[in-house]
Amino acid sequence: MASTVISNPITNSNRATSRKKKKALQATSRDQSQNPNGATTQWKSESQQAAYSSKLLHALRQVRPSPAPRPGRAVREAADRVLAVTAKGRTRWSRAILTNRLKLKFMKNNRRQRVVATAVSRSKKPRVSVLRLRCKNLPAVQRKARVLGRLVPGCKKEPLPVILEEATDYIAALEMQVRAMSALAELLSISGSGSSGSS
Amino acid sequence: MNRALPEMLHCINTPGNIAGSFTDMSVLERQRARIKWQQEQLLNQPPCYFEGNDQFNGYSMPNHAQDFHNLISSEVGLVVKADPGLDNGWQEFGQFGGEGSGLGSSGFVNGSGFELNYGISTTLSCPQEVAAAVTETARRESVSPEKMSSAVGRESFKKRKADRNQSLKAVAEEEPNEKRIKECNEEDESKITEEYSNNSKNTTNNDNNIKRETSADTSKVSEVQKPDYIHVRARRGQATDSHSLAERVRREKISERMKYLQDLVPGCNKITGKAGMLDEIINYVQSLQRQVEFLSMKLAAVNPSLDFNIDSFFAKEVFPASTSNFAIGVQSEITNPAYLQFNPLQQLASCTGLEMEINTPDMALRRTTSAPISLPETFLNSSCFDQIQTSTAWDGNLQNIYSMEFLQGRSTSFSAQQFTGSNEASNLKMEM
Repeated sequence: MASTVISNPITNSNRATSRKKKKALQATSRDQSQNPNGATTQWKSESQQAAYSSKLLHALRQVRPSPAPRPGRAVREAADRVLAVTAKGRTRWSRAILTNRLKLKFMKNNRRQRVVATAVSRSKKPRVSVLRLRCKNLPAVQRKARVLGRLVPGCKKEPLPVILEEATDYIAALEMQVRAMSALAELLSISGSGSSGSS
Repeated sequence: MNRALPEMLHCINTPGNIAGSFTDMSVLERQRARIKWQQEQLLNQPPCYFEGNDQFNGYSMPNHAQDFHNLISSEVGLVVKADPGLDNGWQEFGQFGGEGSGLGSSGFVNGSGFELNYGISTTLSCPQEVAAAVTETARRESVSPEKMSSAVGRESFKKRKADRNQSLKAVAEEEPNEKRIKECNEEDESKITEEYSNNSKNTTNNDNNIKRETSADTSKVSEVQKPDYIHVRARRGQATDSHSLAERVRREKISERMKYLQDLVPGCNKITGKAGMLDEIINYVQSLQRQVEFLSMKLAAVNPSLDFNIDSFFAKEVFPASTSNFAIGVQSEITNPAYLQFNPLQQLASCTGLEMEINTPDMALRRTTSAPISLPETFLNSSCFDQIQTSTAWDGNLQNIYSMEFLQGRSTSFSAQQFTGSNEASNLKMEM
């Protein structure tokens, strides 16, 4: 995973991402648990959150101040990427996020491909397949499993047990992401308001 | 006869319990009828008896031999009254079961081994004629134990095919039982008695155990012996098809993971059923993703001042950032390296980092409270360019940062110059 990133044409953030991955793998110590239960506790640990926050800060520093289409999306994608890096690529969704970002960066100039890649990376529900699922009258559980599979990145066509396992880890990671980002936003807003008040 | 009577009654009673076809009363009645008949025979035809067997002169014979010969005589010459419902085998069993008092009550607790024991015990002291009957009944009995325990071990039978690596107790029982039935006709009698008594006890106990175990180990999935196979024990009363076993394993995996998710997703404790749970999970994931979106929008809005406090966030999550700290940091900022520590003086580094980037005076104004504005600008102009020339490698700087961050923990102080140099250089490099 890391090697493919390094070999590609490098933009600033890409380079930083690769380096972050390397450093993360070297420096951070994580629990080596396999089962979903262990993984969720791993995501809740403070060390994970601290590591994620720091990496997120570095990533956000490198985000261009205001990308034209939507300012929030670049930040969100950066945040997701950092989250995937923190996951160390053990789960499908993290690998899917990283490879999607890679495709996006690599084919950056090609607008059409970028749209496709972003559509994939955004995990939006294409309407056609939803209708098709309804028409087929699949059992309810199957239908919902497919929906969940689309929500979790990289799990569109996986069987139900895999989706459940990925969803467990993904939910834990998302919770940590929300916590970190909210703390960060709060700090920034506080400090921003504080400094503006003082001036 | 009197001595044999209660024993025979006892022995006959217990198979009645197992077989279920005979009631106790009916067996008793039959037994009594038979005994009465025998007594009648003895009483009515003593001369015949004695004539037929010259060697038996009187009643001085031991009881068992007397009974034995009674039966022989009865079998050979006299009318064999067909006991209602009992075949010949039972007759002999009853008689010899009484004689084999050693075997009598101990091994005959319950279980399918009963018929087995009867068939086996008769070989103890049976002459050839009776032995023939015994073998016949033994063969019949060999079928019935299978049928008896098949109800219990049917699953385990079929499971043996489906699950070849697991040795079941029922299998262990069935095979030795059949072997022993064949053996009994050939081996020594006394030796067989003990073996069979032990085995009968074992089989009966094992049959009980199988019933208990299959109900107790309901969902036992043991990965034993070979790591490639997942050994599943079929539950009592459930299909033992290989397909259904695999299906059960899959279902159990899914339910286990749903349990994890139930712990994770709030508010899922009341909901049972996969569909409802999946709905909740989907809603939760969507809400989390929306939250991330919202927060990222918020961060994007705050992004210009993102690097303002960036270094202050390395230490902790919730950082009590306040303007007073900034003021302190600014005033003592000339001696930057001395103040580069994580805890409250972290803002110093943040200030220095900030200064590198923020070239606009309004940002400087925003940052400081009372410090002179010109000071940071001069600092910026002087130091940054020097730093740019000195620090060349982007990798090295980042490596310093990361190593210091992650390895040294939160409360350690950086080698200050390195940090500031790298920080400034990195910031500058971003800008330029």
